[in-house]
Amino acid sequence: MSVNYNNTAAGETISLAAVSKTYMTAKGPLPVLRDIDLEVKAGEFVSFVGPSGCGKSTLLKIIAGLVSYDTGNVSVGGEAPREGREDIGFMLQQSVLMPWLNVSKNVELPFAISGRRDGNTAKRVADLLELVSLTPVAKLNPWELSGGMQQRVALARALALDPGIMLMDEPFSALDEFKREFLNIEVAQMADKLGKTTLLVTHSIGEAVLMSDRIIALGANPGRVVGDIKVDLERPRRADMVGSDRYQQLSNEVRAALASDLEGEKQ
Amino acid sequence: MTKSVLYRVGLPTLVGISIIGLWQLMSALGAINPIMIPSPWDISVGFSELVTRGYFWQATWVTLQETLYGFAIGVSLGLIIGALTGTFPMFRTAIYPFVIAFQNTPRVALAPIFLTWFGFGITSKVVMAAVICFFPVVINTVAGMASVGDNAKMLFRSLGASRAQMFFRLTLPGASAVAFAGIKTALTLALLGAIVAEFVGGSVGLGVLIKELNFQLEVAKGFAVVLFLAVIGLVLYGLIELLERFLITWKHD
Repeated sequence: MSVNYNNTAAGETISLAAVSKTYMTAKGPLPVLRDIDLEVKAGEFVSFVGPSGCGKSTLLKIIAGLVSYDTGNVSVGGEAPREGREDIGFMLQQSVLMPWLNVSKNVELPFAISGRRDGNTAKRVADLLELVSLTPVAKLNPWELSGGMQQRVALARALALDPGIMLMDEPFSALDEFKREFLNIEVAQMADKLGKTTLLVTHSIGEAVLMSDRIIALGANPGRVVGDIKVDLERPRRADMVGSDRYQQLSNEVRAALASDLEGEKQ
Repeated sequence: MTKSVLYRVGLPTLVGISIIGLWQLMSALGAINPIMIPSPWDISVGFSELVTRGYFWQATWVTLQETLYGFAIGVSLGLIIGALTGTFPMFRTAIYPFVIAFQNTPRVALAPIFLTWFGFGITSKVVMAAVICFFPVVINTVAGMASVGDNAKMLFRSLGASRAQMFFRLTLPGASAVAFAGIKTALTLALLGAIVAEFVGGSVGLGVLIKELNFQLEVAKGFAVVLFLAVIGLVLYGLIELLERFLITWKHD
């Protein structure tokens, strides 16, 4: 692979202090996040795990500026969050590719929307497709690709404007186990090389352990931090780490943090 | 490939030929009253006579104009109203209940009113065709715009898309496949609207010709015109399908 990893934007810091959020629903107010404090270092890979309704996705959307917060402070790369920041790449559960655009044009979309399309765009798109190993399918249509390939196109699109921060909201949950593990390793290695600050929302404890530097366990109703676990597996991450003792220990630590919250809720 | 084309074209052709053959046989045996249902042979003889008459082609031209003008006006208005309804919630709240209410009234009942308003000429038929084909376009455009997923909208927001970019790069292409289904229905309805309006009151057109031929008990020729209308409908539908394939390349089986 001839892609140059050295010329990419450096990761940025993210800081949340006492952030709370309540959604107003037809049945009344629904608190989703309460007093979230979090410091993410530049270039750090942090995963959020927790049960449904713990506000993981809302947290990501607050950082992306797509959802407002009620109280507290949020700083993303030293600025207040707002939507449409070019230093944030966003990847969702579904690949959300435009069926009327081919693979190349889908990756080019952020350039077109931001008005940053120029003479270098074609080269940049080609590099991104090479980075995600999709050069041979550049001219194909999205529906001609497998689910895993579609998510790789989404990854290339999220990296298009060379953001310092990558936000990934359950990007692998729609994939089968094999493809998921393969992409976990690929993305974790890519994050190492690119040095971007990466936040991943996932339901999979194993995925979080395999990919992250740190795991934030969130309890539900409302969402709050119930565990902050440092993952000290060596980098680069490899698929065989899944069977290691340390991987099991870390998985158990995350599980225990989540379980303690569930126990507390029952009592 | 060859096998599937043979299957898709050959099978319905075989069914069609069998039905016509059976129909002709029953007519020849006297099992069908020719005043009620003329034989395929009589219909083809009637048609071969009609095509030599200038008035037949004049009627065809008038009906085609009514259909296509009505279609163009109905579809244009339908797309505009549908896009406004799908884009602006206030517009939707204000207008959509009336669209739905009007959709559920039998619009052919308006034909005599249009005749009073616009006279016996082409205008009353164009208006009827436009009114009858307007609704499926509005409803499908609104449905198409509603079908654009929240995730796609969120992605565009995260990319900082303006309102215009959101509309032209996401909503418009995203809605077009469903909207086009409405446009296809509209074309068939436009022809129907033009013919109904001609029945109610007109001096030229294939609808007028069918009525006159029936009054003269030229039933075979009347049938020939009906079948000719079916062919016109099929050709127009084929053309709009071609246009759809050209414009909406991502709609795949």
